[in-house]
Amino acid sequence: MGHTWSKAAVATATVVAGSLLAGCGGGGPGSGGGKISDDGVTLGVLTDLSGVYAELAGEDAVTAVEMAVADFEKKHGDDAVTDDIDVISADHQNKPDVANTQARNMYEREKADAVFDVPTSSAALAVGNVAEQSKKLYFNIGAATTELTGESCNPYTYAWAYDTYMLANGTGTEVTKQGGESWYLIYPDYAFGQDMEKEFSSAIEEAGGEVVGKDPTPFPNDNFSTFLLKASAKKPAPAVLGTLQAGGDLVNVVKQYQQFKLKEKGIQLAIGLMFDTDIKAIGQDKLAGTMFTSAWFWNVDEESRAWAERFRKESGTWPTFDHAANYSAATHYLEAVQRAGTDDPEEVNKELEGMEFDDFFARNAEVRAADHRVVHDAYLARVKDPADSETEGDFTEKVETIPADEAFGPPSPDCSMS
Amino acid sequence: MILALLDRLGARPAWLRWGLLAAGLVAVLGLPWVLYPPVAADILCWGLFAVAFDLLLGHAGLLSFGHAAFWGTSAYATGLVAIHAGVPFPLAVAGGAVAAAVVAVPIGLLAVRRSGIYFAMVTLAFAQMIYFIANQWGDLTGGENGLQGIPRELPGLDLSDSFVYYYAALPLVLAGLAAAWRIVHSPFGRVVAAIRDNPARARALGYSVDRYKVVVFTASAFLSGLAGGLYAVNHGFASLQEVYWTTSGKVVVMTVLGGIGTLWGSLLGAAAVVRLEDWLSTSGFDEVGIVTGSLFILVVLLFRRGIWGTVSYLLQRRGGGAGMRSAESGNGTVRDPAAGDRPERSLVKEP
Repeated sequence: MGHTWSKAAVATATVVAGSLLAGCGGGGPGSGGGKISDDGVTLGVLTDLSGVYAELAGEDAVTAVEMAVADFEKKHGDDAVTDDIDVISADHQNKPDVANTQARNMYEREKADAVFDVPTSSAALAVGNVAEQSKKLYFNIGAATTELTGESCNPYTYAWAYDTYMLANGTGTEVTKQGGESWYLIYPDYAFGQDMEKEFSSAIEEAGGEVVGKDPTPFPNDNFSTFLLKASAKKPAPAVLGTLQAGGDLVNVVKQYQQFKLKEKGIQLAIGLMFDTDIKAIGQDKLAGTMFTSAWFWNVDEESRAWAERFRKESGTWPTFDHAANYSAATHYLEAVQRAGTDDPEEVNKELEGMEFDDFFARNAEVRAADHRVVHDAYLARVKDPADSETEGDFTEKVETIPADEAFGPPSPDCSMS
Repeated sequence: MILALLDRLGARPAWLRWGLLAAGLVAVLGLPWVLYPPVAADILCWGLFAVAFDLLLGHAGLLSFGHAAFWGTSAYATGLVAIHAGVPFPLAVAGGAVAAAVVAVPIGLLAVRRSGIYFAMVTLAFAQMIYFIANQWGDLTGGENGLQGIPRELPGLDLSDSFVYYYAALPLVLAGLAAAWRIVHSPFGRVVAAIRDNPARARALGYSVDRYKVVVFTASAFLSGLAGGLYAVNHGFASLQEVYWTTSGKVVVMTVLGGIGTLWGSLLGAAAVVRLEDWLSTSGFDEVGIVTGSLFILVVLLFRRGIWGTVSYLLQRRGGGAGMRSAESGNGTVRDPAAGDRPERSLVKEP
């Protein structure tokens, strides 16, 4: 080690030591006070900004929440409970450990009053835990697991958009009744997929069908050939291949389903969860006629279209139901803060619990006090034939409305709020 | 850290020793006032982990590439004890550390039969086995979802604030650091150092080389487990990340950055890496690996002694001649240039 090297070494060491000493503020325990804590309301959007769910949620979910804030400010003007509303965002990479750290960061360091979205059920469960510990609100939009309103429910977590029960009850029941009686299920091996598999199995059996095989797959995953070949080699061949993957994984499954020509072998495809962005990625013509269950889609009626047009101006794409639900939840949260006159979570809870409402996203909706699930009408939908599409991005048509009290299951006995 | 300062300055005037002791105390006690408390607590945990790792790498000359196995085993065990038994967190963490040590014994017995890169590969293989067990045994560990909702219990103290938790965890970390220091400076530690420097001679003198290696391996695993348990309680969460090989890699980076064989340098290395990662991720930069990786390469190329090693080396030169105090040193590796070369050599070859 020469003399010049030593000098470089000292310089580097100094820089490293300096970065250690330079604190980033926020020392000691935080302090609250006043009606609006920290002189403002901060909404954190914790979502997937880079992975398989970045299309269906991602950056556009942040846009949706920003729209909600802008609309709230416009509506209330000078009467608003605070004139300082911020939106922050972070990437949780669909990993529960990252979500745990980021959520804590948002609540404690960035003083977020509520966190929104969090696709990926395992990550959402982690955020639910942090919300309970930090005693701050969490509005789950992107995650489907029923555990959030079951065993892991808590007074600070709301589930706004959809759940696995809703998906299974719609698609599983309907496809079985139409004659798809033997099912082969493949599901991603984490909270969402495990939960989907349970809900689908029970919905299928209740409708008189049978699950003849099931395989957990890694998450996220590129290559599903092993599972598809296994399903098609099964004797007798199952009538339906139920794919319970979502987002980028779903796109891969469907593409490989077509490559291996399972349809030609008489194995029909049923999809557990599908967003407009997935239809776009797979190709509308390839999916035409496929039935699925959706919490909402932008072309469902006039009111939804009007909002979707506005969203499209902001973001450049048509919204998925995740985006719409983010807007809806952020709006109702801000309104609740406005009515309560404070952002204290306990007071906001009093405003939200039991609230009945109707907006462009949620029809005949109620925020159930027992488990903090928002129940609302859901839709059994079908992918349109490209010839029937009115505009670009018009992929979906409604088959029937599933009324709110049938779309979601009753409050889980495993949930205790106290 | 404090003890280290005392040790390092053994030959200096008493007033300076006490002054540095006080400075070290202030630094450790003041950390959560300067930094975001959960990050400060992370620094404690990773610091202890890196010191435990240096006990093995710097003092026994064994490069384990599977230390995540012990950190992670303890994280899960601590979580399970805390969730199902509802005991105060120090007991749960102790349980986790014991579990890590129990896992380390068979791994150590098999791994010490090899050295160099083969030792690293065997430990990596075992760590990957633990990873797959944790992944597959979903009923117990939560698999991909992780083990969620680990409570922080301590009678008479509300630990929900991370600021309070830092001070509750601090005594355990200091105890772990003291144990590492004691091991290095015990007759046992001197034998371990002798085995590192010349195993054949140590064997000729009648020491059971493998047994010493297994004991120091297990001790390192126990201290790693202590750190891993505290980390799991800090986050209320144990995930597959804890047993993944990147965690093993991270502790190697920390130790090399701080200075191999300096024991306390690892604390600085851990603090630098944790602080850097936190700074990068809060400023929206997700590819943290690129930065820590580049830093690692720089350290290996430019100052292999690491932060602590380089600073003390330069201080000695300025203080009048290299190796001036190496005779009375308890920390020979740093000051003796020849000994300093040894772990560097293995590093360049092995990973």
